[in-house]
Amino acid sequence: MLDKKPVVLVIDDEESMRDSCSLILAKDGFQPETAENGIIGLEKVQDVKPDIVLIDLKMPGISGFEVLDKIKEYDPNIVSIVITGYATIESAVEAMKKGAYDFLPKPFTPDQLRIIIRRGSEKKRLIQETERLRREKMLIEENFITMVSHQLRSPLGTIAQYFEVILGGMVGKVEPRQEEMLAKARDRLKSLMGLINDWLDMARMNKGQIVDRLKPLSLKEVLKDIMEFMQPSAQKENIQLELVPYSGKDWVPGDDETLKQVFSNLITNAIKYNKPNGTIKVSLEETEDSVAVNVEDTGIGIPEEHLNYIFDQFYRIKKNDEKKSSGTGLGLSIAKKIVEAHGGTIQVTSEIGKGSTFTVFLPKTSQESRNS
Amino acid sequence: MDKTKILIIDDDPDFVDAVTPILQSALYNVVSASNPTEGKKKALSEKPDLILLDIMMDSLFDGFSLCHEIKTSKEFESMKDTPVIFVSAVKEMTGSRFQFKGEEQGLRGPDDYIDKPVNPDDLIARIQRLLKK
Repeated sequence: MLDKKPVVLVIDDEESMRDSCSLILAKDGFQPETAENGIIGLEKVQDVKPDIVLIDLKMPGISGFEVLDKIKEYDPNIVSIVITGYATIESAVEAMKKGAYDFLPKPFTPDQLRIIIRRGSEKKRLIQETERLRREKMLIEENFITMVSHQLRSPLGTIAQYFEVILGGMVGKVEPRQEEMLAKARDRLKSLMGLINDWLDMARMNKGQIVDRLKPLSLKEVLKDIMEFMQPSAQKENIQLELVPYSGKDWVPGDDETLKQVFSNLITNAIKYNKPNGTIKVSLEETEDSVAVNVEDTGIGIPEEHLNYIFDQFYRIKKNDEKKSSGTGLGLSIAKKIVEAHGGTIQVTSEIGKGSTFTVFLPKTSQESRNS
Repeated sequence: MDKTKILIIDDDPDFVDAVTPILQSALYNVVSASNPTEGKKKALSEKPDLILLDIMMDSLFDGFSLCHEIKTSKEFESMKDTPVIFVSAVKEMTGSRFQFKGEEQGLRGPDDYIDKPVNPDDLIARIQRLLKK
């Protein structure tokens, strides 16, 4: 990147302006490109991928302001500098508000042009350096978590494997009292592994990472996969798990891996807290700006006093039945983190004795395109 | 009739020790290797009918690239149809199913995946399914 000349695109309807800027810029070590109007300018932006764009605000056809907007939308990291015609403060201020880095009032000297472009180039360099450091940090964090994850999980997996084999009677007869103790040890180990998994999930969960990975996703496809994956566990508990047919909009910006984590977590809970021979209905709904996924169970329900807290980290509802109080208490807070990283919300309604419905709202469009 | 031979490539000798009785109970012969290099040597010399491959040895890609090599390189021409099962210490129930992202990099993937700790019946069933083909 240090060897490559920074590319500066000059969008101006005056030929003399384009020519003289090109000359000055080329002499100063930049790679000049030109365009005689906004439309061609925008095409060129996608073509040559400039580091800096110089935009004349007063052009016939599409206005400099519109060009500025579209460039920001295309790549917010491009440094934009506007050329203002009559040195009016209003247009300069408006341009800065729209994201221009600086403004250059006409008429300007070659030196003034050089100074402002150099500043813009320095700004661009800093943007790139920040991005590079951010990615490096992420990689280091990911690697660290991966290493910790492997070092913790691997020996635990082997210990658990020994339990499986011994309890399966594959290395000799196991006396009843031995079996009882070994089974208890194995269950504690399973809980421990679950706990580590959850903590690693929380550690790994980085909103920035999820936001970076968002791409158009079909919720119907995601749910179909999850249903297939969860059927065996549901069947094991005699719970009927069904996906209600849906023909509305289901495409949202999403991250496949983490959304699957959310839904499998909700369904796992729905299975765990359900009545024998109960049902779980997963359905989709469309609202004005979101697509909602409902996970409805016929379970024991959640007392009203807990509803505000169940998405908190480590919050667990004390139960007498031991089976139901297993778990780390992190599942729902992880789910909430993931959903919020998607720009969505998660809610719950419940009736004691009847069941609960968890609803995940996911926005139809990404935060960025809504903010610009 | 020759017994079916399974090659386990895993850097944890205790895991191999724990899983061997499972395979022996299904009347399989078991050979093992503790690193990718040894794994390749034994694959060629022992000619196993199926390979159990731990994907997290020195680095995540050891398992991936070894699988790819066995399935595509000239050196392993004789083994290219040998089924490979990835074994990994990945979560089971929490839904984030391990996804083979190697495909994006053009790597040939395994024939099946199984999580540690393996359920004995599940492991045997998967092996039988792959050997039938």
